[in-house]
Amino acid sequence: MKMIRAFIRPEKEQEVVLALEGAGFPSLTKMPVFGRGKQKGLQVGPVHYDELPKTLIMTVVDTEDVEKVVSIIHDKAKTGFIGDGKIFVSPVDAAYTVRTGEAVL
Amino acid sequence: MKEITAIIRRDKLPETKKALDELGYSSLTIQSVDGRGKQKGAMCAEMDSEMPGSFCTTVKLKPTPSAYALEHTLPKVALYVPKRMLTLIVPDDVVSKLVKSIVKVNQSGKRGDGKIFVSPVEGAVRVRTGEMDGEAIS
Repeated sequence: MKMIRAFIRPEKEQEVVLALEGAGFPSLTKMPVFGRGKQKGLQVGPVHYDELPKTLIMTVVDTEDVEKVVSIIHDKAKTGFIGDGKIFVSPVDAAYTVRTGEAVL
Repeated sequence: MKEITAIIRRDKLPETKKALDELGYSSLTIQSVDGRGKQKGAMCAEMDSEMPGSFCTTVKLKPTPSAYALEHTLPKVALYVPKRMLTLIVPDDVVSKLVKSIVKVNQSGKRGDGKIFVSPVEGAVRVRTGEMDGEAIS
């Protein structure tokens, strides 16, 4: 199992979620976050924004589905401009469903 | 070291904290998150007890908000359910004990009880003293 954490533009969130649901991955957790990247924020005229609002979408999927999910997120969250976000994949040893207590995703 | 990420119901947070306290692992990070699972979010009957169970057990996302609003009464459904996410970094040997106790406290048998994920952590540093790894989380 792998945990996929995607930092995406807040306005792209619904599109990404719909695409994931269509592909059979409806379960996810999202939270609003603030972040910055290589460009150290954003300069708009005289105003410098150090941290920009992003949405963090977190989902745990089976290892063989990782590529598919990442490509869906990449496809839907992409605008081609700086600030599109990042996707991180990290290992998960076990997942438990609280309702049943079983160690299945 | 392992990271335990538990996504649980909001109202179970105090009990969960108490249970973890009793086991001696009270350091944790709490975040407010919105989540959804296999049921794609809405659980009308659980959110509104006057709602007939047959009305909608599963509400699917509609592509346009207006079509969605026409079909459902918006205040009674939710695409995301507010949850609390707990993150604990603990030694390897107590993981199963903690998972069991979190499951025991949070289990209500209904949908939406949450998920617990266990993932490996490579290192830790206590900022105050600079202690590394094992000592940092003790």
